[in-house]
Amino acid sequence: MEIDLEMSDEDYVIQRAKDSFKNNPSAAKAWMITAKIMYPNNFEVQFEAYQIEKTARNIKEAAKCFSQLTIKFQQQPELWKEIEKLTIALRAESNNDEEKQFMCDMFRHLSSDVQHKLLLFTADHCEDTMEHCRLLLLLLQRFPTAISSNGPRLVDTLISAEKHSVDGNYPISPYRKLLICDLLPLLASEKVKVDLSSKLLQKLLQKAIEFYFCYLGLNSSAIQDSETKIEDPWSNLFGVIEFIGNQLNWEPQLLDFSTNWSKEGYWQKIMKFCQSKSKNYPLEDKQLLYCLSIFFVYCLFEYNSSLTPESSPGQTSTTFIMVEAFSDSTLLNLAEPKNKKRKTDVDVSHVSAPCITAEKPQYKHIQNNFLICMNCWDLLNSSENLQREFIKLNSNLKLDPLLSSFVIDYALYKGMYDEALMFLHKVTEPPLLLQRYIREASILYFKKKYSFCLEPITLALPLLPNNKGNLSNNLIIGGNQKHFHYLPLTRIAILQFLTKILTRCIKENMQHQSSADLSIGHIFTLTQLDWPQEEDMIPPLLEKIKQSRSFQYHNFQNYIINVDILEELTYLWTNQGGQIQLDILPHLGQRRIGTRGADKGVKEEIKQAIRRQITRSNEKLDDLLVSFILNERAQILQTLKPPFSM
Amino acid sequence: MSTEVNLKQGLRKLEYPICAKEALYKIYDLICSRITSIKNMDLALDLMAEFVFYEVDRRGHKRAQSLSPLQELQLVKILYEYFDTLTSESGRNTVFLSLFSGTTINSRLGVLTKFISMGIGIPSTKILSSASAWMQQLGNTSPNSCKFAEGLIQDYFHFYVSSTEKITALPEISLEFTANFLTAIAENYYNTSNKKTTTLPPSKFIFPPQKLLETVTLWISQNTSLCIAAQQKQAVLPPGAIAMEATTPIAGLLKWCILAPIYRQDSKEYTDLHLALLNSIMEIPKSTPPKAVCAQHLTSSINPILTFVNDLKNKQEKKFSEIINEDALQLSLDRFAQAIQVIASVNAMYGHTDDLYHQIKILPFNKLMNIIQNNYKNKVVVL
Repeated sequence: MEIDLEMSDEDYVIQRAKDSFKNNPSAAKAWMITAKIMYPNNFEVQFEAYQIEKTARNIKEAAKCFSQLTIKFQQQPELWKEIEKLTIALRAESNNDEEKQFMCDMFRHLSSDVQHKLLLFTADHCEDTMEHCRLLLLLLQRFPTAISSNGPRLVDTLISAEKHSVDGNYPISPYRKLLICDLLPLLASEKVKVDLSSKLLQKLLQKAIEFYFCYLGLNSSAIQDSETKIEDPWSNLFGVIEFIGNQLNWEPQLLDFSTNWSKEGYWQKIMKFCQSKSKNYPLEDKQLLYCLSIFFVYCLFEYNSSLTPESSPGQTSTTFIMVEAFSDSTLLNLAEPKNKKRKTDVDVSHVSAPCITAEKPQYKHIQNNFLICMNCWDLLNSSENLQREFIKLNSNLKLDPLLSSFVIDYALYKGMYDEALMFLHKVTEPPLLLQRYIREASILYFKKKYSFCLEPITLALPLLPNNKGNLSNNLIIGGNQKHFHYLPLTRIAILQFLTKILTRCIKENMQHQSSADLSIGHIFTLTQLDWPQEEDMIPPLLEKIKQSRSFQYHNFQNYIINVDILEELTYLWTNQGGQIQLDILPHLGQRRIGTRGADKGVKEEIKQAIRRQITRSNEKLDDLLVSFILNERAQILQTLKPPFSM
Repeated sequence: MSTEVNLKQGLRKLEYPICAKEALYKIYDLICSRITSIKNMDLALDLMAEFVFYEVDRRGHKRAQSLSPLQELQLVKILYEYFDTLTSESGRNTVFLSLFSGTTINSRLGVLTKFISMGIGIPSTKILSSASAWMQQLGNTSPNSCKFAEGLIQDYFHFYVSSTEKITALPEISLEFTANFLTAIAENYYNTSNKKTTTLPPSKFIFPPQKLLETVTLWISQNTSLCIAAQQKQAVLPPGAIAMEATTPIAGLLKWCILAPIYRQDSKEYTDLHLALLNSIMEIPKSTPPKAVCAQHLTSSINPILTFVNDLKNKQEKKFSEIINEDALQLSLDRFAQAIQVIASVNAMYGHTDDLYHQIKILPFNKLMNIIQNNYKNKVVVL
């Protein structure tokens, strides 16, 4: 063996270790032990020893070397590189790479003290703030004991990093996500009270609310990728309130979102809480505002999502909208057993409580969701202070898209038609226009603005969905209370509702018409869709025709195909029926058919016309009515004119 | 006097080996009771000689015929059952140390070896820990301990070579016993002071069988605290006994590794064993004063190296420069120097340290040895 006497002792010992490594790892390690013990402050020796163990994939030994390096040689750039590799490996979700896997295994063999030091050191040396935060977070996740000392620091860092980041104003920034989704649960999990000022805690709560609300407002396509996806954001948000509320000594009842939690139960707790507070309840106490606001938004989400229930696979989902429907005092009130209040029902004990109906019993919860939202909304608006605070909160949270539909329903329900119209007027998003027109038509009808009804109806018709749907049996209920209905947005259901509105507009406006024939004809046409539910409309009209002894309706051939109506008209025309003059064929003009026998040809023609109409009775009524309303707009409008405007 | 006679008379009515079993219980009563006396002790020793080991007859005369192999086996079984069921550690060790005391061990070593062999094979932690206490009290490098260890090695490494699980698992049964056993084993090989080998020239040293070497290497590699195990746990001894400090196997086994290259024992295990020993040394807990390795014990490697060098010089007429560059010699010296350095650094050496550093100067030149010598000098000067 050649011995280079010029070499320094240290270099010699290290060289020997390196030399023997290839052929004899055990001998190399013996040299390394010797070198390490002789030159404990020589980084190169220690690092070489580590490299040898790492190359040989000796996890335990490498961990031992790495520990010593971390404790003694934090200033060595070569070690930094290694530490960097380690932290990269730790953060990687899956380690297919052999070296990364080794680094992770080695990390597990380090003492927790060294692990802690290592992560803290790395975080402190990290120039990229995001990186720094991620590392600190990793540290806290692995070492819960470090939470109370490093948690608050990380909170500050994340808040200021967010402020200075590019998208500082947008609540779903990566920093915010770390803060809310990763750090807050850690702070919450720590049993020891974390030292955060109440101001900071409120700020955190605010940020959490903003974050989750904004997240919930995202459409599903934006949150498909796993980076941003959050499982069960609501329970996370409730967790945050629970944690922060406890820190701020809030009423425990309001912070209990445990498994038996229900909307109704929580509402009772809020009511109880409000009752327990005296009038001079301190305004700066935000617990009611936050708990109530979050609860309200939660209910609002539930309500909005219940409006479009999930459909079974392969079927198009149907959205429901609240419309004011009809009630008829002459009918028996079968829809709702009166005054039978269920325990869980929220306050609906007004004298003439409006009745809410839905197409099927399984949609009953839509109504419950609405009523809870309404109660929250009323409570939020019951005090100036709450109202002001909620507006302030809302301006940060940007809840308007969420609220927009509810406030219309609310105004509608409360009979605040002008407000409802004002809200509706603001709706300009194309997918929501159909809903807007339907509701506008309905409101205008109830406001008795008959002549204005036609426009929204004609705007709605071209927008009818392809989803066909069925006729509803629930648009009219007995009794004289107000009636609200969750109308499914299907072609038939919408058309049925709109024709019902139009029919009633025409009928109620009939008294102002000099001649009723046009109105009667339109009503005949319109009632055909919802036959025989609208059958009751017909007899008074026939009576009117009898009285005037003639009936002129030149649209007859185009639109009247209902066999029952045709039969009734034919009967009136016959001798037994009273020989009512039917002016239903425009080409016959004003020729009278009065003179006996003189107009035998005319009679025959009418007979033929009626027969022709009967053969058409199987035609699609929806298409027929859509074209009727759209094509005969001017004629329809004529029957809707208010008095003295002609 | 009468109880003594009655006792013996009673036992004499029993046949061997029933009387041995009975005698063991009487012996326990005599020497482990709270109040004991020289008289009781003498009686117990009588009972052992006459009824347990069947060495003397009723008149105290040496029997012409000792135990037959079958009787010996029966006795071993009785001893096993007896010790394995005794619950008090102090009682177990008291009886064990009296049965196999320094004065009687020569004649009883055969039985002892078979008995402990069974303790390893079945196994029994209780029996092995008593045997460990026994080795330690006798001195684990004493000729009797070494002979005893040799007997076990015969059993496990020469007779039952095919089945090694039992012996491989030995540290799990009793770490202290394994440690003391290792110390004794270490002395049996590469050793000129051993009576057996004094007449042999150094080249005819006895080397450990490969299987033993592998087992020892495995034990120490897997458990860095094995070497100091006997020092870590003190056996419970009879009242009044002075506990003897156990010698660790470190120096003895290092000697194997140091001398192996020059005796052309190039089995890979020596490198691994050497590394395992260094690792074990690194794990030695601090103690004041140090007690893990005796400097003189290390010094004993020097002479064989010098003899080897002289042999090369005289018999093969090699030049000194050639000898120095002999790979085997340098490897041997590297290992030696590494060991000294590591032991010294963890402050585990006791005895005449200065003497050791003085003596290594006469060894042929080795760079590492030179470095550690200089370091030692500097350190002494600084101090």
